[in-house]
Amino acid sequence: MDWESFKKLKGDEGWLVIRRAAKAIQDALRQKTGKFKHQADIAFVSSYTTDPLADYVQVFSAQNDLAVNQYIAPYGQFNQELLNPQSELYRTSPRITFLLIEAESDAIDEQMSHLGGLVDAFLKNSTGILVINTFPACPSWPLNVLPDQRRILIEKLNTGIIERYQSNPRIQILDLDALVAYFGCQNAMSPQMMSMARIPFSEAFLGMLARRIISHITATLGLARKCLVLDCDNTLWGGIIGEDGLDGIQIGHDSPGREYLEFQKAIIELYEQGVILAINSKNNYDDVMQVLNKHPQMLLREKHFASIIVNWEPKPQNMQKIAEQINIGVDSIVFIDDNPAERQMIRQLLPQVETLEMPADPSLFARTLRETGFFTRAYLTDEDKNRGHIYAAQRKREQFQQSCATLEDFLKSLEMVVSIRPAGKNDIKRAAQLTQRTNQFNLTTRRYTDADIAAMAQNPNWRIYVLGLKDKFGDNGTVGLALVEAKAKHWRIDTFLMSCRVIGRQVEDALIDRICRDAAKAGRTSISAEYIPTAKNNLVIGFWDKMGFEKENVDAKLVRYSRQLKNYQPPKFLYLKIV
Amino acid sequence: MIKDRLETIFRQSFEIEQFTEDLSIDNVHGWDSMAHVGLILALQKEFAISIPPVDAIELTSVSGIIKYLMNQRGASD
Repeated sequence: MDWESFKKLKGDEGWLVIRRAAKAIQDALRQKTGKFKHQADIAFVSSYTTDPLADYVQVFSAQNDLAVNQYIAPYGQFNQELLNPQSELYRTSPRITFLLIEAESDAIDEQMSHLGGLVDAFLKNSTGILVINTFPACPSWPLNVLPDQRRILIEKLNTGIIERYQSNPRIQILDLDALVAYFGCQNAMSPQMMSMARIPFSEAFLGMLARRIISHITATLGLARKCLVLDCDNTLWGGIIGEDGLDGIQIGHDSPGREYLEFQKAIIELYEQGVILAINSKNNYDDVMQVLNKHPQMLLREKHFASIIVNWEPKPQNMQKIAEQINIGVDSIVFIDDNPAERQMIRQLLPQVETLEMPADPSLFARTLRETGFFTRAYLTDEDKNRGHIYAAQRKREQFQQSCATLEDFLKSLEMVVSIRPAGKNDIKRAAQLTQRTNQFNLTTRRYTDADIAAMAQNPNWRIYVLGLKDKFGDNGTVGLALVEAKAKHWRIDTFLMSCRVIGRQVEDALIDRICRDAAKAGRTSISAEYIPTAKNNLVIGFWDKMGFEKENVDAKLVRYSRQLKNYQPPKFLYLKIV
Repeated sequence: MIKDRLETIFRQSFEIEQFTEDLSIDNVHGWDSMAHVGLILALQKEFAISIPPVDAIELTSVSGIIKYLMNQRGASD
């Protein structure tokens, strides 16, 4: 079987076919012949056999350019693997460990304390992320009149697990109960599989569970896509605005029309989770704006979109324009269009864009979107929840800039206020997220997890600076981060990054200034910095030179810089107020 | 016909050169105990039958599988 046919596997071909593909991928990984953009080390530790599940994970993740190295603990060894500090699991030290177990006891306290013991041991012996499952609360006597007491107990147990662990940054909950409910107990659980292979799940459910597992991996690695780009006619509403007119298109509570309303609801839920929305449509611009601003039934409005490109140009070209406007890579985009020809064109010319295969029936649009894991996050920060407003303000800022005669006028009248502070407890998640998400204005592109940042925050040898920015159009939120290794003898700027939406406003100068002043205050006579070139950070190629640092080597992979701090003179800030 | 459909399953699942009735768990590369479970699932789906575990353990050769399928009244052909 060749690579192209692997890519087409959907999971319903049966496990045996998936297994063969998984073996080929593993061989390619071992011989280093397979090329994948992303890598992850994971482990399965389970009370049942996980080999078939691991096969599905291997194949589906490879289809998304993710190579997964898997450690599968021996069958039934989950207690020993977690409790013994010298176990193979801890020796392998995977980034993410999936602890997949069945409920052993109907006694909630017993089950909770057993799980609690395993989790505590893991947190002590590993620095990785642990994923634990809830238990499927399947009815055991579906036709019985009396309430199913066992099911009620398991539901309580699940609530207990979620409440106890949901806010721990090193633990993620795989809500197996919810996933089985979505799939249907009868279809998900298989006594035959249990009997033949000690796997509680049906072959069909394994594919879905694998996709959920991949969501945990991509969320942890920060691979979630950032932007959803939408077509208009027959995607956001039924009919063609240019032909049917404002009164003729279908959108509203009656059918046809309510399918699109449901779809828009799902899109707005993504918007509220911080996904950036954009429009890429072949239409007359004014027609589309009229629908967005005037149609009484539309849920999506102009304010929801960070970029609206409506013209008669080819869509791949417009897609690149959207990416430029929002300042993201096309590989952060998911595209939805009802027209198979448009989808095909994007797939061919911009394969980095994830183009969703949409069903012909619009009543299934919302479900198709909801069943993708492309936007899933391990957590939501305040920035995520406000991102929509932030981008709307950014559009206004750009309009304002066009009305200003010079850049200086614009910067002066923005009334910017910069605040720089050491990271507090509430900054940890955002700081980690910035290292995960920032690609362009990022000098070293070192990715850190919450756990990494939390550890740095407690380490006296590290200083974490976060930078917030407000201006007359609103609060930009936390948009800058520096991680400085501040040892007694030497200071090194390990990470320096800015969110791309504040580039070109001299905010970065303020952060450098603060670090240099702190270093000088601490008695350091110089400070070092690094630049690691990537495919995406060309923007900052000469940044350290511009900031008064001197190159110390010419290594193409990691360029070292340093700056003298004797008689340090802070620069003047003409446009910023620094608090 | 049963043999043709069986051949398709075997070619999708294992690296084999020739499909013959002599193939068995002892001489097909990759046909191990785990793959055997997958094979039973594939047979169930393809021939729309349910194979109980006691029978599944016995179906370790192509000739045995063909004989078993012939005896299944439910096996549509």
